[in-house]
Amino acid sequence: MWTIKRFPAYWLLPALLPVALMTIYPVAYALWVSLHSVTLLFPGEPFVWLDNYKRVVTSNYFRDALGNSLLFTALATPLVVIVGTLVALFLQRRFFGSQIVRSIVLLPWVLPGAISAVLWIWVFHPSFGVLNGLLRDLHLINGSIPWLTSPRLALISVVVAHVWTQIPFAVVLIMAALSGINSETLEAGAIDCRSPLKRFRHIVFPEIKAMIVVLVVYNALTAFTSYDLVYAMTGGGPGTATTLLSFQIWRESFSMYDFGTGSAVAFIVVAISAVLIAAITRALPSDLFASE
Amino acid sequence: MRMKTLFAAGLLAFSAFTVQRAVAEDITLEFVVWNYSLDTIQDNVKKFEEANPGIKVKVTDYTWPDYQDSLVLRFRSGTTTDVIYGGQDWLPAWGAAGFIAPLDSVAPAGAVEDLAKDIAGFALTDVTYKDKVYGLPYYADTISFIYNKKILTDAGIPVPQTWEDVTAAAEKLKAGGMEHPIVYEYNQELPNFYDAFVAQAYGRGAELFDKDLNPLFADPNNEAYKQLQWIADAYSKGLVQSETHESKIIPAMNTGAHAFTIVYTYVLAALNNAADQPRAGEFALAPMPGSKHSTLGFAKSYVVTAQAAADPARGEAAWKFVNFMAGKPYTVAKRWAVEKGLGFGQLPLFQDKDVIDAWGKWADVKALGDQAAAAKAGTYTEYSSVWSAYFRPLLAKAMVGEASVEQTMKDGAERWNQLKEQFANR
Repeated sequence: MWTIKRFPAYWLLPALLPVALMTIYPVAYALWVSLHSVTLLFPGEPFVWLDNYKRVVTSNYFRDALGNSLLFTALATPLVVIVGTLVALFLQRRFFGSQIVRSIVLLPWVLPGAISAVLWIWVFHPSFGVLNGLLRDLHLINGSIPWLTSPRLALISVVVAHVWTQIPFAVVLIMAALSGINSETLEAGAIDCRSPLKRFRHIVFPEIKAMIVVLVVYNALTAFTSYDLVYAMTGGGPGTATTLLSFQIWRESFSMYDFGTGSAVAFIVVAISAVLIAAITRALPSDLFASE
Repeated sequence: MRMKTLFAAGLLAFSAFTVQRAVAEDITLEFVVWNYSLDTIQDNVKKFEEANPGIKVKVTDYTWPDYQDSLVLRFRSGTTTDVIYGGQDWLPAWGAAGFIAPLDSVAPAGAVEDLAKDIAGFALTDVTYKDKVYGLPYYADTISFIYNKKILTDAGIPVPQTWEDVTAAAEKLKAGGMEHPIVYEYNQELPNFYDAFVAQAYGRGAELFDKDLNPLFADPNNEAYKQLQWIADAYSKGLVQSETHESKIIPAMNTGAHAFTIVYTYVLAALNNAADQPRAGEFALAPMPGSKHSTLGFAKSYVVTAQAAADPARGEAAWKFVNFMAGKPYTVAKRWAVEKGLGFGQLPLFQDKDVIDAWGKWADVKALGDQAAAAKAGTYTEYSSVWSAYFRPLLAKAMVGEASVEQTMKDGAERWNQLKEQFANR
């Protein structure tokens, strides 16, 4: 008989085949393209070994874009996790209208990146932005702060917008982890320890730390490969202040019609992402996923 | 037997009729556009379908920033695409790649030549590749220097004639409390960004390339070099506010916090639209500052894909559609001009009373005509869009002082020469 126990591999095929078709083939094809000269303008697709990769790492944009992407990731990742955890802890309490607040907090999650970008442009815009208007009304500033047009502020502004879009997912995961904590443990903790900070540190955090690690890794990857929101808000400028490495995949492929180099950038992004994940997981305590 | 024969003949005739009918009705053209004024596009399509029974048109739209890459993906993946909006900067590359077809491959003999006689010089240049006309103008426009009349009058500042005048005016306004007198469309990912720079350089009388397509702009005496230096200086003096798209320039200028901008001319119609802009009527165009007052003229066009041209029936339908949208009596081009303020490449429309009346509401029509007459086409080659994508981030860095003008122009010229050589040896 064709039982699962006798032929487990065959039973996995219906699931594995689509995965192979939809994931492995495109990735393998992209790898092939990155090792060939594939451009729209020039006929033929000769094998060029690592020339595309060399061109990327020696290009004048690579250092700027890599630096921006790493800074963007370093700022956005902890912010998402910290703010997401704080919001989740707040929303776990029952208060009047808590269900409505929970729904509103999730809103940024359902908005496409381009729409979020439009919202945040209206917040940060130097001429007609809400934030400058508010600061002026409060007599905190006289002129306007160039949130999106100053190289230094532009990166911070796009980080804020990105964090806003990512917080809901962090909130959902942390709330799920919080709901798994034994309520008797929490009650006992509330009796034994009056300090909320100490209760969080000694009771809550150990219970949710595995989820926090997942969030750190996930958000590091999301930030490092972020594209649509930043592109729509600043177009990578001013200058190259918000040009991210993921921009270059698009620019090489579709602006410069060089799919070989575009694929090489993509694989470099993947390689750096893998290094990031390895670094994050190695930096974390070894007992993190151990059962208590 | 006789009944059987009659039945078979009847069946055959019916089949032939239905097949013929199906073939006639089966043509659905895939028309790909960027999403400017989709309602008008759909209405024009509806009118075409009414006038051409048997041909349906399915419109697919992308945003302007996503348009080019979406088209390239469609071409590469073989997605059915028959008629597209073409851009002057992509046209030679797409022609060289074999994505698009010359119009005379689908049009009746002599039809394209006849229409070409009515097209403005710069617009015809923009739709021509290797002496073949690949498109008919959807719209043709210029890049304009726009100022706020009221602000200048109130401050007692005359309309600037040169870029040095612009600096002086902006500095005076800044001293009077205006933080950033100039709003600049600054998005290194969009071709507009390079086009606006070229338009300003043309105002000074710049030639960016010689007749053999050698770059001239790396010479410090070249007017394009001087213009980049001017922009970098204006940024360093805090006279300029960047905007990533013209759609944001419109509300920004209407705050009254800025006096000057450099944008596509049709933006003036939106700026002066009394229905939704608080400062409508305050904006006017001036000749592009500089000794020559020239500017960049360009044409976006209806283009037939090579895929459509390869199928005679689709090619014929595609031609009918392009001819309806851009051919005589220029009804659709006129509609865009009257209702939306879009420029046109079809010269007879300059004499059209409806166009003159409509444009008179938001612009000095004579000034527009003078600007169109002074406009020059850009230099577009198979590799110019690739080069432009490389050069735009360099320009962006130089403007905000992250790179020197000298190095930027040198790097830009080097890359141009590399691509030129690569393309010659392909």
